[in-house]
Amino acid sequence: MFPTLNFPLTVFPNCHTVTCQLPDMLLQIDFKSGKPVYLQLVDQIRYAAASGGLRPGEPLPGIRPLAEELRVNRNTIAKAYTELESQGVIETIPGKGCFLKENHSPFTKPVRQKLLLKEVDEAVVTAHHLQVDREAFLALVKERLDYFERKIKEKP
Amino acid sequence: MNNESSVIEIQNLSRRYGKLDAVHSLSLTVRAGRCYGFFGRNGAGKTTTIKCLLNLLRPDSGTVRVFGLDPRKNEVDVKSRIAYVPDFVAFYPWMTVAGTLEYLASFRKHWNRDIESDLLKRFQLDPKQKASTLSKGQKTQLALIGAVCPEPELLLLDEPTSGLDPIVRREFIQTVIGAYQSGDTKRTVFVSTHLISEFEGLIDEFTIIEQGHELITMEADAARDRFKKIRVRFTQTPPKLTLAAALDIKQTGREVEILANGGSEAVLEQLRAYKLEDLTSESLSLEEIFVASNILATKK
Repeated sequence: MFPTLNFPLTVFPNCHTVTCQLPDMLLQIDFKSGKPVYLQLVDQIRYAAASGGLRPGEPLPGIRPLAEELRVNRNTIAKAYTELESQGVIETIPGKGCFLKENHSPFTKPVRQKLLLKEVDEAVVTAHHLQVDREAFLALVKERLDYFERKIKEKP
Repeated sequence: MNNESSVIEIQNLSRRYGKLDAVHSLSLTVRAGRCYGFFGRNGAGKTTTIKCLLNLLRPDSGTVRVFGLDPRKNEVDVKSRIAYVPDFVAFYPWMTVAGTLEYLASFRKHWNRDIESDLLKRFQLDPKQKASTLSKGQKTQLALIGAVCPEPELLLLDEPTSGLDPIVRREFIQTVIGAYQSGDTKRTVFVSTHLISEFEGLIDEFTIIEQGHELITMEADAARDRFKKIRVRFTQTPPKLTLAAALDIKQTGREVEILANGGSEAVLEQLRAYKLEDLTSESLSLEEIFVASNILATKK
């Protein structure tokens, strides 16, 4: 299974999901998650990049084959790739396709932290409603950081 | 003069069959490069609208523009830039598959042979087979090949997948995705259907019509953001809920299901004030939105 970045609040019924198996990466779309499809793709590719499923210099699937495989509009895939490019995650080489970039965010450190703050706040709010206390929350964050680090190291 | 980027522009279109109002004062705009869904139940007026676009029917009132042109006055100009897959396809029974495609190609300025042979292979159609011996699914596949090969600017699909088996449907949709926007020109797809779920990923924007009247026109992402199904289980017998944004509230014991038409965040916030065992929120699929909008219309 390929988890999304957010803590899942919803139970996803299988009939509304579309999956696509790519080398080393499984993309999955869920029309009922409430998140626009292109953002689901952005999150999952970012996840793959953070966990070593996709390494710098590796190509992303072409827009057309991916669109056909997932049965979504090509505009949606193109929009996801444009978003990833503007975030500095991937780069487009004309005539060759899209590739994962070395991890260099185009933003300054304060901006990067501010962007992260929003996500952290969301997690804190969710933790509050799920009655996960401070210690358990911090332990979970640490565990996940270790998990991602381990996953990247596992790759040759 | 119409906006250059709109491929279809319908304004206040009305068409009657005797006493029956098939389409009543319908307006919609399809911009270039988009995949536009046109949803409605059987007899809602979908085919009538499409036939007006193709000058197969004359509107009683209102205007129809395709590529900014009037299909009545510029019929050839308009039709040469369109391909149409009707809900019921018929070919000359004595022609073979190859002969039918040859015949269709003879009307077109441009015909992509590579696509033709690719698709014949993909659909496993025998070029020597007679059209009369094709199954319904194979006839639709042949019609799709005939529609895609001229690489038209606008692909009009009228109930293209009804009556087809799931595998043929899937191939059909993948072919449509593959076919449009492959060149430099922006290709537009206009698909009318009541089998919405399979086109879900393809649709940018849609209009739902019922009994000739437009119910909703929205961007697909915006619609999924606006229509939410919230399920909540209270620890005790639930209080009487008054939720402004709720379209429908169903209650069974301690469980309540709320259909929200916008404002779902406010509903969630309101619910969190109570003691809850479980709270989930999910978007409605386009098909569920279609059903909900019909409930909404009958309530009015």
